[in-house]
Amino acid sequence: MIALGPADPCVHTLLALLADPHHVLSIGLPEWDKTIRLARQARLLGVLAQRIQPHDELRSAVPECVLGHLRSATVYSAHRGHLLRMELTALAKALPPELPVVVLKGAAYMLQKLDLARGRLPSDVDLMVAHSDLDPAEAALRNAGWEFEEIDAYTERYYRQWSHELPPLRVPGHPLEVDLHHTITPVTGRLKPDTTLLFADLQALPGERFLVLHPLDQILHAVVHLFQDSDLQAHLRDLVDIDGLLRAHVHSHDDWQALAARAVQHRVERPLWYALRYCRAWLTTPVPEDLPLATPPAAVIRLFDWVFPRCTLPRIPDQPAGISRRTAARLGSLRHQWLRLPPGLLVRQIAHKSMRAWRARITLRQQSE
Amino acid sequence: MTSQQPQEPQHTQPTRIRDLPLTLLEKRFSTASLALDYGAAIVRVRSRLGVFVRDFQQVYGAFAVADAPPFADFHTEVCGGQGLRSFLRPQSRFLIDGIQPFDPFPKAQALPHFEWGVNWCFAQRFNQHVLLHAGALALGDRAVIMAAPPGAGKSTLTAAMMLRGFRMLSDEFGVLCPRTGKLWPMLKPVALKNRAVDVIRDFADNAILGPLYKGTRKGDVAHLAPLAASVDARQRPARPCLLLFPSFRDGATLNIRRLPGEEAFARVAFNSFNYALLGQISFAAVAEVVAACPAFALEYSRLDEAIEAIRTMIAESTSDAVAA
Repeated sequence: MIALGPADPCVHTLLALLADPHHVLSIGLPEWDKTIRLARQARLLGVLAQRIQPHDELRSAVPECVLGHLRSATVYSAHRGHLLRMELTALAKALPPELPVVVLKGAAYMLQKLDLARGRLPSDVDLMVAHSDLDPAEAALRNAGWEFEEIDAYTERYYRQWSHELPPLRVPGHPLEVDLHHTITPVTGRLKPDTTLLFADLQALPGERFLVLHPLDQILHAVVHLFQDSDLQAHLRDLVDIDGLLRAHVHSHDDWQALAARAVQHRVERPLWYALRYCRAWLTTPVPEDLPLATPPAAVIRLFDWVFPRCTLPRIPDQPAGISRRTAARLGSLRHQWLRLPPGLLVRQIAHKSMRAWRARITLRQQSE
Repeated sequence: MTSQQPQEPQHTQPTRIRDLPLTLLEKRFSTASLALDYGAAIVRVRSRLGVFVRDFQQVYGAFAVADAPPFADFHTEVCGGQGLRSFLRPQSRFLIDGIQPFDPFPKAQALPHFEWGVNWCFAQRFNQHVLLHAGALALGDRAVIMAAPPGAGKSTLTAAMMLRGFRMLSDEFGVLCPRTGKLWPMLKPVALKNRAVDVIRDFADNAILGPLYKGTRKGDVAHLAPLAASVDARQRPARPCLLLFPSFRDGATLNIRRLPGEEAFARVAFNSFNYALLGQISFAAVAEVVAACPAFALEYSRLDEAIEAIRTMIAESTSDAVAA
């Protein structure tokens, strides 16, 4: 197992439970106390609950006070799932039927009825259309009542020119936001999956208005989302998604070879290599040893093995984060900026943000005087 | 130097918080080795704010001093403000799992802040139960659910009933377990607002009220300490047998009106913190309560008259027969 850094011992318990719910049989109350807190912080309590509750012999091994939290998380995730379904129904009505629209991430997992959707907490709705369909899709949604939240001109430009999605849309009063994408990573990013390939292999779902990505692209999207398009902060649940997708879609030797080949085609070998490394180590995902993926340099792996657990794993928040976690968080965030924007734009973005922060501070000072 | 600090005796531990010397209580708070058992939930609290601990002892006096249990439902902290500001304008902050869900209060209002915080945590996270916005009291194990919109005098009536011998479960949360159909106590100090403070102070000699906090976000607030009889029974759920919708009106003569089931259902269900969130579960649970319990609207102006009427109604309700 890769060292978990300064993580609480109960992080091991949480990972062990995610890998195999039978681990409940060896957990005492003091461990539950921390494990529930860690799972909640990682937004994985509902997932944990759904893996334990269906098994009578496991459920009966869980103390009543702990079961309450699992039941509560199950109710809450079911409620969020219900809201997601309602939003998708409204979207299906609003979008012209001839327009091919893809659902990504949580909404797709739900429509595909994948095991990993059980207990998962969807946060918003992610849709994708071809770049050429962006205008009609946006117009259709705005006609049907979806609105952009108030943002300044710079942020608007940031979304439209350099991002892979429009600013978030929402019908006033609806609990969920809609992100309308035209590809799966920021257009300025260093790693750019092949969008043509993504759209060429879309899959229809029987009885559904929406399309989903090819199963292998679904995996690679989740991988890129975690290892490129995030600052790695507290994203254990993204790793759990990847584990769930691998278990759902990749079974045979040929499947694994196809996944590696697809990663090469999309030029996202490196992120996949890391995803498989941590999935295998932490969630016992059955990843074969001999995949044709280039291994990163040993020093880089060592650095990543130091940063990743410190950023990604939840922690008991009774004490402030230590120096090693804070350093790792800083590194994770720098890496994210670096991967997302080319140097010129990065300088511009940092200049703009610091200017804005500086102006805000001046205004604040003037107000307080 | 000989230690003047009171020592916690090894065998004859004081059983209630009011019996614990303040210094020992402060020590327990500073190490978070104090846990509050509200019945439905156990809350661990860490604090180094002297003013909080002092006020806390007054309104939680009857609660048991228990060693920190191995499992707590919420891990909270009440702490002071940060930085320079903490000297200029002292504040209290409420944290759950290291997160500060709302803006700080003035430091002197740390206790109301904590009370509000625990209510918030409970309403957010305890979706294993249907959380009715209602007072709940019991005679033995037969409970009355009193739902009313804010301002109808629900807390005042709840407080008065406890002082006249009812077992209080909660003045704010009707914690209905959908699997057993029983109500769990969520026994907290009753937050009395404005006029209700003096009404209750004058109502009974056994009323123990905490400090009066002037000008909080909800007006002037003082907390009524739960009595020992209610505290000691906080692990005993009760079966609902009466639904009541009380309203206070100055000078009103007592008026009790039977309500049809569908009206009672709407009034209970739509006065809930999480009815919509639980979907079918809450529908079934509330429907079962409405089917089992007669429902009445009760208008009153004299507390004792209302309380005697409620006592009679509970005795006459036949819910046990229906439920069995």
